[in-house]
Amino acid sequence: MLFSVQLFARARDLAGAPVVELNLPVGATVADLRIELGRRCPDLAPLSPRLLVAVGQAYARDTDPLPAGGEIACFPPVSGG
Amino acid sequence: MDPHASRYAKQILFHGIGAEGQVRLGQASVLVAGCGALGTALVEGLVRAGVGRVRLVDRDFVDLSNLQRQVLFDEDDVARGLPKAVAAANKLGRINHEVTVEPLVTDIGPDNVLALFQGMDLVLDGLDNFETRFLLNDASLETGIPWIYAGCLGAHGQTMPVIPGQTACLRCLIESPPDPGTADTCDTAGIIQPILSAITALQLVNAFKLLVGRGDEIEPVLTLVDVWDNSHRKLRLGTAQERQSCPACGLGQRDWLKGERVARSSVLCGRNAVQISPAERLRLSLDDLATRLAPVGTVLQNAFLLRLEPTGTDYQITLFPDGRAIIKGTEDPVVARSVYARYVGA
Repeated sequence: MLFSVQLFARARDLAGAPVVELNLPVGATVADLRIELGRRCPDLAPLSPRLLVAVGQAYARDTDPLPAGGEIACFPPVSGG
Repeated sequence: MDPHASRYAKQILFHGIGAEGQVRLGQASVLVAGCGALGTALVEGLVRAGVGRVRLVDRDFVDLSNLQRQVLFDEDDVARGLPKAVAAANKLGRINHEVTVEPLVTDIGPDNVLALFQGMDLVLDGLDNFETRFLLNDASLETGIPWIYAGCLGAHGQTMPVIPGQTACLRCLIESPPDPGTADTCDTAGIIQPILSAITALQLVNAFKLLVGRGDEIEPVLTLVDVWDNSHRKLRLGTAQERQSCPACGLGQRDWLKGERVARSSVLCGRNAVQISPAERLRLSLDDLATRLAPVGTVLQNAFLLRLEPTGTDYQITLFPDGRAIIKGTEDPVVARSVYARYVGA
């Protein structure tokens, strides 16, 4: 199944695109998404395990399944200030 | 109208504060952890609003590169080489003498964080590194004193209120911070001032709600803002049941407060240098680091180490693949930790 993943801030810069389409099996989880994202965008691989992942309007945990057609967005944690 | 009431007249008129809320603000004590770009905007907001007592902690000195975004500082502070907490307190005393401002020039560590929290009603995050934020999170959970997380980079910022026993905590959101050397900092990727205004505005509103007794009106969400994209998003965090598995707020682990995940520093006598060792041995890619640090200054790299001399400073940072660094140009561990956080990340 094709999942459309929106990338923000530094994650977008490292991937070189605002949206990445990932092909993952039905029932894939956020943890699977992290691995596939790192494979598709090698520059993003070091950051992928630490990305904040949103599914719709909720923060998603590694064990959460990816909903078909749901909006998926990834943000880097930021430390500046 | 008496001068006190006149000073706060506009915010007393506002329905969310009122006369009673103003009295409560005047009785409140707030710790502002860090006095950089976030911290100066936060503390200015608190002092103008008439919060009774503000404890302001920072380990660093005012530098010319701060003036682009750190609102309380000026060229005179740079010329005088003032500590940030002291320079800020000087300005704040002229803005509102009614507020008790307690500037402290120190590093926040496991040894002093609980003492800094003592007597405070709320803690605001004005920090520039993950390590100290996870320490604040532990101290907040340990004491029950709420804190408001925030972080910014580039044009992107994030903030989330942490009210122990009621909301998610920082470790519910990020179980482990990125390893030093793997994430960008303001010194490697840059930052623009408007994102700091946006994020500190959200932090201050939640602070006001909490301090005037309207904490029930605080939304328990992570807010993500990008001022360049003009995007704004609120994320709900897990249920109380899901939080039971959080190492910090669910299982009660205090890894940072115990010092188990805090970097160690040791002065290298006679070498004008300090060694910083991360809590865990890392496996850094020196190639990736060289790319990230190239815009910052002169980078020398071989198979064993990377050496950075940041432009406009007298420091030389020698970084090894296990994350250990030797910061040359100071014998002060606090300065060395600050330099490490700026260029490598912590």
